[in-house]
Amino acid sequence: MKPLLLQVSALNVQAGRFALQNISFSLEMGAYFIILGPTGCGKTMLLETLAGLRKPVSGKILLKGKDITYLPPEERGLGFAYQDSLLYPFLNVKENILFGAKAGKKGRDVNILKRMDRLAEAMGISHLLPRYPSALSGGEKQRVSLARAILTNPPLLLLDEPLSALDPQTRDSMRTLLQEIHQAEGMGIIHVTHDFNEALQLGTQALVMNNGNIQQQGDPLTVFEKPGSLFVAGFLQSENIVKGIIEREGGSPWFKNVENDLSLGPLPEDLLRGNMPNEVYLVIHAGQIEVSCGEEFCDQRTNSWTALVEKAIINSSHVDLTCKGKGCWHVTLSRHEWQSRAMDVGSKVKLSVKMERIHLISNS
Amino acid sequence: MKNPNLKKDLFFGSFWLTSTLLVLFFLFIIIGLFTYSDLGMLLGVLRQPEFHFAIKLTLWTSVTATFFAVVVALPCAYVLSRYRLPGMVFFDTLVDIPIVLPPLVSGIALLIFFGPLFGDQLVKAGIRVVFTPLGVVVAQWFVAVPYAIKSFKQAFNGVDRRMENIARTLGFSPAGAFFRVTIPLAKSGLIGGLVMTWARALGEFGATAMLAGITRMKTETLSVAVFLNMSIGDIEFAISTAIVMLFIALILLIILKTVMRKEVRV
Repeated sequence: MKPLLLQVSALNVQAGRFALQNISFSLEMGAYFIILGPTGCGKTMLLETLAGLRKPVSGKILLKGKDITYLPPEERGLGFAYQDSLLYPFLNVKENILFGAKAGKKGRDVNILKRMDRLAEAMGISHLLPRYPSALSGGEKQRVSLARAILTNPPLLLLDEPLSALDPQTRDSMRTLLQEIHQAEGMGIIHVTHDFNEALQLGTQALVMNNGNIQQQGDPLTVFEKPGSLFVAGFLQSENIVKGIIEREGGSPWFKNVENDLSLGPLPEDLLRGNMPNEVYLVIHAGQIEVSCGEEFCDQRTNSWTALVEKAIINSSHVDLTCKGKGCWHVTLSRHEWQSRAMDVGSKVKLSVKMERIHLISNS
Repeated sequence: MKNPNLKKDLFFGSFWLTSTLLVLFFLFIIIGLFTYSDLGMLLGVLRQPEFHFAIKLTLWTSVTATFFAVVVALPCAYVLSRYRLPGMVFFDTLVDIPIVLPPLVSGIALLIFFGPLFGDQLVKAGIRVVFTPLGVVVAQWFVAVPYAIKSFKQAFNGVDRRMENIARTLGFSPAGAFFRVTIPLAKSGLIGGLVMTWARALGEFGATAMLAGITRMKTETLSVAVFLNMSIGDIEFAISTAIVMLFIALILLIILKTVMRKEVRV
């Protein structure tokens, strides 16, 4: 296991009536840590507290083992970038990047100037150095903001929704740039976002927050495939969430939804962890339901059932289907599959699911 | 055929008519001043020692009052702009009082403060405020400082606090972030506020008359000079001084508008 870069334990922060409550997590050296959550859940507040811009009521923040809980931001040496770049309009790009170095009276240091040149080159902004922020595009501004934040080699970079204000094309190139920076600089990154695709593409660790509390943490794929609560499943847009009960048949557990006459099983025993009550929610992502043409044989033993395609939304790479049959199911298949199987709205299809792909959430 | 846009035309036509009438009225007021004066008379007054005294006194007192208004207004405005604590509304309202009070009433309040209340102690400390040029500075400062606080607060409100946060994470102390980030970002608004504050101090009369008195060649600012000479019937001096004040006001307004236009461009 890698040594820890950041340890946050039992952190409580108050801002008016809103509070971050009992936040604890840790970050390994060089990790790319994603904090996810809806707007107003306290993500930015947590990031500002880590940066020293807010004082916690209680709790501890250790950076490389050193207690920085009450250290002012200027003594923490962390990089910080907000979503809207916030470049200083009275400084040109070069002066903006060197702004942090000036605070340490290193604005004319040869090594710092060389580093700035290297960073500008790597980020493709060398030609922008004499320009003022008003003459830059959104993506260019965000690149400059990143260069400014990492100029002085911070051990940890804090990013508050760095991609959310960008158009889709710029966002893709910025994602790649963030990956490159992370690999090249080797620093830890905490990236706040509400876009789970960013977490899957960039993150090595993820944490989901809601209303000032941590809901779940773990590696991004596990969080995505095995949401720990109904909130996390809903926030991560798990497309199929079905309420039901667990019943034992022949000694094996089965998921039953009486209302839709749905019966899936036998469920793997490890799915029923701990004190799983009888009432549960079944979670299946749209991509985990297999779809084929309706003539094939369907039965309970193969966990398959027939349904009618009610709606089809054709995207550039995939097709989102809404199917009715033993409930309402959202299914995704590639455009190639959609075309090769000659499906259409109104087609009869067979839906099937493998038991190792489903996930159960306790009703409590 | 009935014009369907007639109602709309009449509605906005009334706006244009009101604006035009106001412009004409203001122009006639200014032209009226000039009809009671001529260049020879104006130059004659400009050569008089009384005028020299009044303009010198007005300039140094108003600049001093503005300087101290800025020194006080910068921190007060920042506190009012940035912090939401209990009692802030009271602070904000208290700061507004000199704007709402008639200057004469402000002058009486100042006279009581620097006279019967603390006058003796101040005189013992060698500070004479009542009926002295220092009283002029104090009166101008008191009347002008709320304008500085109001406009500076507005300027600070326009600065995204996160800009300061970034500076802090980049290694600047709170003071460093204030002077290197907040002040440059609020610069246009601050200059605008500074000009307004100076303009208010420059034209101050009521509070000055109460606290510093109306004494020829002692506490005689340009406003006091206009009043003194009108009251003894020296219309030429009064009007010429008024014209000079009008020019000063015009120059200040031009500076203000130029600064504000630059702010809009940014």
